[in-house]
Amino acid sequence: MSAQATDAEPLLSVEEVDVILGRGWRANQVLSGVGLKIWPGEIVGLVGETGSGKTTLARTVVGLITPRKGRVVFDGTETSRLRGGARRRERRSGHVQLVFQDPLRSLDPDLTVAQIVGEGLAIRGGIDSEEIRSRVEDALAKVGLDATVLHRQPGQISGGQRQRVSIARALASGPRLLLCDEPVSALDASNRNYILRLLSHVRDSLDLPIVIISHDLSSLAGIADRVVVLYRGRIVEDGPVSQVFSAPRHPYTALLMASAPSISTQGVKHDRPLSVHQLRRTAADPPPPSGPDACVFAARCPFAIDVCAAQPAREQVAAGWSAACHRHEEWAGLTRARTSSVVLT
Amino acid sequence: MAGNPPPDEVLGIEDLHVTVHDGAATAIRGVSLSVRTGEIVGLVGESGSGKTLTCRAALGVIPASCAISQGTISFGRQDVTDLSRRGWERLHGTGMGAVFQDPASYLNPNLTVGSQLAEVLRVKQRMPRRQAHRTSIELFTAVGLHGPERVFHQIPAELSGGMLQRVMIAIAISCGPRLLIADEATTALDVTIQAEIIELLRDLRDQRGLAVLFVSHDLAVIRELCDRVVVFYAGEVVESGSVEEIIERPSHPYTQALLRVASVGDYGRRELQVIPGQPPRVGAEITGCRFAARCPAAIAACRSGPVDLTMLAHGHDARCVRASDPELAAITAAAPADGLVAPDAELAVR
Repeated sequence: MSAQATDAEPLLSVEEVDVILGRGWRANQVLSGVGLKIWPGEIVGLVGETGSGKTTLARTVVGLITPRKGRVVFDGTETSRLRGGARRRERRSGHVQLVFQDPLRSLDPDLTVAQIVGEGLAIRGGIDSEEIRSRVEDALAKVGLDATVLHRQPGQISGGQRQRVSIARALASGPRLLLCDEPVSALDASNRNYILRLLSHVRDSLDLPIVIISHDLSSLAGIADRVVVLYRGRIVEDGPVSQVFSAPRHPYTALLMASAPSISTQGVKHDRPLSVHQLRRTAADPPPPSGPDACVFAARCPFAIDVCAAQPAREQVAAGWSAACHRHEEWAGLTRARTSSVVLT
Repeated sequence: MAGNPPPDEVLGIEDLHVTVHDGAATAIRGVSLSVRTGEIVGLVGESGSGKTLTCRAALGVIPASCAISQGTISFGRQDVTDLSRRGWERLHGTGMGAVFQDPASYLNPNLTVGSQLAEVLRVKQRMPRRQAHRTSIELFTAVGLHGPERVFHQIPAELSGGMLQRVMIAIAISCGPRLLIADEATTALDVTIQAEIIELLRDLRDQRGLAVLFVSHDLAVIRELCDRVVVFYAGEVVESGSVEEIIERPSHPYTQALLRVASVGDYGRRELQVIPGQPPRVGAEITGCRFAARCPAAIAACRSGPVDLTMLAHGHDARCVRASDPELAAITAAAPADGLVAPDAELAVR
């Protein structure tokens, strides 16, 4: 499905974005040189651990955070430079929508579902209440909710339903790009799969590109076309899901994959060639290079050597696939040697 | 309790019934389970299936509107079902420890984490200040916190979620309990941290012979950590057995469904499955199997009367009239993965 034809124009282009939150001694660089392109109709998984900058990147894309450096271009318009009335118009158009993390906290507990989903349309203006009502019902239908929830409040519906209300709120404005921040992390396995299938269905029926933020790679395997891995504010790997998951080029991606629990009963996890023990630093590993310019992952990387004292640039490893690792071609070959030295418990 | 508990049983729950809303409804119906020394037992089920309430009953901290209406809970050789508040206070910390999903909300944000651990040692173990400090550092080291001296003087806001969960575990094991209850202790953590906490719990079991009751809604996590698993559905135990047995030969249609929706970790493109329907409301009076309405293999016998837990193999029980039916697995596996039917859509009675 990935419309990765290099000649096609990306719908969204995030270019060399730096984000610094806070001022003075509190200043904290959350994103460093982030570049990301989203093409029409694709589902992109944005993965990384807590504090890696996933949410900040999403907030920057929708314009809630202004980047210190770099630019955000949506469909030819540099949205990160818009100010005042132009910015307000862009926001009210509802072209880019973000589904916030934790629907219980992001939905107003005093409003009904109908009010929550219709609020954005009412603020936009120029739409009569009849039209708003039909659009609200339409948006709810897209997420599999019927009119019975219309007059309930967020506290009166289940967690899975709340998440779907959040998605319906985003869909009501007719977005052209949807970003979902951890849409499934608070849900049980069945509801998680349902939401993911729903998003996949929304993409198919509306041809809507979707960015799904998650800390769990395995939940994306079923639906994403492309995966982007963030580590401490930098994109360390970006490529087609099937290729990245079969042979990750960054050791952090491999660590994320190996860490996910598996239901597989085989003693050897044949579908996961590497174990976490092969990908974690041990006391036997030489101390990693440190310093402000060192690779962000060096401190946790068992394969770090002297060249890693300089932050690696993101290099293309194959068509539409890039990784930021000096040793992206070598490290996988070194993991085998690590098996014998580590006693598995 | 019938007969004497086996000598190494740490926690024994026998035919537990718990009512909620001041007795208006029964949320837990006849749950029995046991945890032995050095054993990690997993409780799995959807939200609202009674896992957490069972844990809270075992800890003697059920909410005020709930009550144990039937059954017994024993800790070691002691019957603790009607234990006084003072009695529970003596058990907490020294007998059993607990860790929950959101570590930050269980720690005082204004005090250093070290002082909160030392306080427990000073109150429960009557340790002098110096010794409590020394022991705290040892415990922080034991749970794998780097730079324990520094961590001691940090407040919760300065620590990450994974570090806070390690602090909670240090507090929970500080007074040498025999049982650790971990309720969704890894759910809110990153996968890399989750893998580390799972290893830590396994190490604590190996080194200290700790018995662990581990609650999770994810069978894959249970599979990584536990020896035995107890599957909850709508306040009942529907299946229990060793992890290998349950994963290789799930005999209740609900367990089979849980396995199909679990994160398989195979990273291939696959059909994401959903369990259609939703669990019955708490207190719903249902004749027969409580899962029948969602079960693709339900037959008339499922609804005619109560279904008992029956033993299928040594240590493997299931509450299903068709548990021994060789065709059961094929029927549930072939159930249509209903396109995009919402999990809460009304299901026609099959």
